[in-house]
Amino acid sequence: MLDGRISMSSSSLTILRSGARAATRVDRAAIVAELRRLLPRLESTAASARALPFGLTALDAHLPHGGLAIGALHEVVPQTHGDTPAAFGFLAALLARFAKDHARTNRPLLFVASHRALADHGRPHGHGLNRLGLDPARLILVETANEKQALWAIEEALRSGAPAAIGGAIAKLDLKTSQRLQLTAGEAGLPLLLLRPAKVAEASAAATRWRIVAAQAARDRFGLLARTRWNARLERCRNGRTGEWLVEFDHGAYRFSLAAALADPALSRGAGAMFRRAG
Amino acid sequence: MLAADVSGTPRVVATNAVAEENGVRIGETLADARAKTVDAGLQVRAADPAADDAALRDLALWATRYTPTVAVFDEKSGADGLFLDIAGAAHLFGGEEKLIADLEMRLARLGLPARSAVAATAGAAWAIARFNAAPRILAAGAERAALAPLPIEALRISGKTRQTLRRLGFRRIGALLDNPRAPFAARFERELLLRIDQALGCAPDPLVFILPPPIYHSLRYLLEPVAAQEAIVAIAQRLMRDIVHALTRDGVGARTLRLVLYRVDGGVKSLDIGLTRATRNAAHVARLIALKLERKAEMSDEMLDAGFGFEAVGLAVTATDRVEPGQSELIAGAAATDAGLDERCAELIDGLAQRLGPNSVQRLAPVASHLPERAETACAAECVSWPAADEARPRPLLLFARAEPAEVMAQVPEGPPRRFRWRGVLHGVANAQGPERIAGEWWRMGAATGAGVGASQPTRDYYLVEDEAGRRFWLYREGLYERETTAPRWFVHGLFA
Repeated sequence: MLDGRISMSSSSLTILRSGARAATRVDRAAIVAELRRLLPRLESTAASARALPFGLTALDAHLPHGGLAIGALHEVVPQTHGDTPAAFGFLAALLARFAKDHARTNRPLLFVASHRALADHGRPHGHGLNRLGLDPARLILVETANEKQALWAIEEALRSGAPAAIGGAIAKLDLKTSQRLQLTAGEAGLPLLLLRPAKVAEASAAATRWRIVAAQAARDRFGLLARTRWNARLERCRNGRTGEWLVEFDHGAYRFSLAAALADPALSRGAGAMFRRAG
Repeated sequence: MLAADVSGTPRVVATNAVAEENGVRIGETLADARAKTVDAGLQVRAADPAADDAALRDLALWATRYTPTVAVFDEKSGADGLFLDIAGAAHLFGGEEKLIADLEMRLARLGLPARSAVAATAGAAWAIARFNAAPRILAAGAERAALAPLPIEALRISGKTRQTLRRLGFRRIGALLDNPRAPFAARFERELLLRIDQALGCAPDPLVFILPPPIYHSLRYLLEPVAAQEAIVAIAQRLMRDIVHALTRDGVGARTLRLVLYRVDGGVKSLDIGLTRATRNAAHVARLIALKLERKAEMSDEMLDAGFGFEAVGLAVTATDRVEPGQSELIAGAAATDAGLDERCAELIDGLAQRLGPNSVQRLAPVASHLPERAETACAAECVSWPAADEARPRPLLLFARAEPAEVMAQVPEGPPRRFRWRGVLHGVANAQGPERIAGEWWRMGAATGAGVGASQPTRDYYLVEDEAGRRFWLYREGLYERETTAPRWFVHGLFA
């Protein structure tokens, strides 16, 4: 598949070049514009061009088509092993957003993981998923004996086109496999979100890679947890720009927001101290 | 020759041809048998009734090639044969004579001499087969005449009844049939008259089939034995296509299926497949069978041990469900509608479940319990609606099946934690929200709850704790300080996003 794509892009490039030679003096800017127009078309199918915006202008501006591509592979990576629950939470919140996009058909969500994938962190808890806007009734948990089976199950789910979105936890993912998943997701027009281990370094064909660090939550004036916060770094973004944001999740409205620039960590700590005295 | 202890004395329970030539009879004591065969060199083995039962069961499975309804002789019938209910199956073999001939030929090839008979009632067939009466194939209604000359042993009655009858001078069944019933009813257990009635077809004779009788069934004999997985799947698909006509006619679809593979050497392998949604799609069924076989191959299950190959393949539908008319047929070409999606979804789930094994594809269902570990359950069933999340009582994203102990430093024993050590790492608490008090479920007291020493579970105080790095934990203190315990223990029960 990869070879096919390279030859495709190179052939279109040669056409461009010969065209440039024929017209003796073509504006360099025009060529660049033409390339800009052609490249995304080669990169992605029409289905994957659809995107789901976060609803946060600062963040969406970094992403191609102003949002997370729907028919694509996205990776969510915790900064350290201890941040895995935070990364899983971010992934679950994204899954829930994708699910809402397809809400009319009430399609299920799939989460595929080998039984070892989350073993260190317990089992996904329905009532907790509910807090992130992910309706557990729509979630189907697929637990496999090993990663090979998990990858098979993910591809199977993508090909069936039945779920609204697919999540998964995969530790080892070589470039070739990630390319295959990315292509399958593109063809199916389904989002695939993979939770990767903290130490992931290998190249992948994913459309985006998010690096998640747990951050101190936003608290209300009583010192109670109001909005979960994550430090989300867009580490890789095909056809987009990288960036870093302090993302909040509103458990009431089930939506993302950006933490106010003035949010003072000292304030929340102070509130906590006050609460301790009260308790 | 086989021997077993019968009321304290070793007695002969089975013999082979050579032993019989030497005059060894079943039932005599081992000492007598030895005396008779001093020259022949008697070989004695202990009888193994359990192994006999297992072998008979295997043979019953083997016999399902003739009809899916096969019952094993029970203890009273001697536990040494099979009932085959061939109603509606005989014509597939070209008539009852041919079926019997085929059955005996194949059994002989397996080295099993057998006697068989066909009759309208199980009792009559049993009697004729056992006492070699002619004709072997009894027309319906001729039971009375056929049974009359047979000895009373031809009724499946207990030894005690038999002895009493003999003592009273009854030797032939005919004598019982000719005499009035009332004295027998007064004198004997219900068994005697019941057996007579069953043999004559006047009373029902419930047979316990080794496999639940299928609703739809299709079987194919193969010219050449097959062993390859693809071949089996292809045959299964053809069998399913045969069944689909009947399913469509009745407006139902298959919910559970059983694929039965008959090995050349008499072994039988069967494969059960459950579906989340009734289907009539032969290709889908074939795919599920392929996935299941793949799983078996991966687990190096002996299922795949084809021996010299399979000579017959049967597919049975054991449970059905209504299918809305035209459901799959109409939607196939059309755009993806809700019903089409539902079907694709069911097919996906079935496929995953067959390949990954049972319990690998699950949904979460809420349970009305205050205890977090009991508040949900995994189930394979369809989705149920969940209550809305309660922000006043936040629940963690990930929950440990078994809460992990933690060392906690608190300012006061009943206060929130200040620092805690969990999995060898010290976490400073930046913020603690709580406590949320969850009392033990007193109505479960006494039951083995695994809560510890006491009969009742101690009260738990849950805290949502955020450490200095921003990671969120769900800790609880077990036991109310000074009321339930003086040294409360701490646990990490879950992790928040």
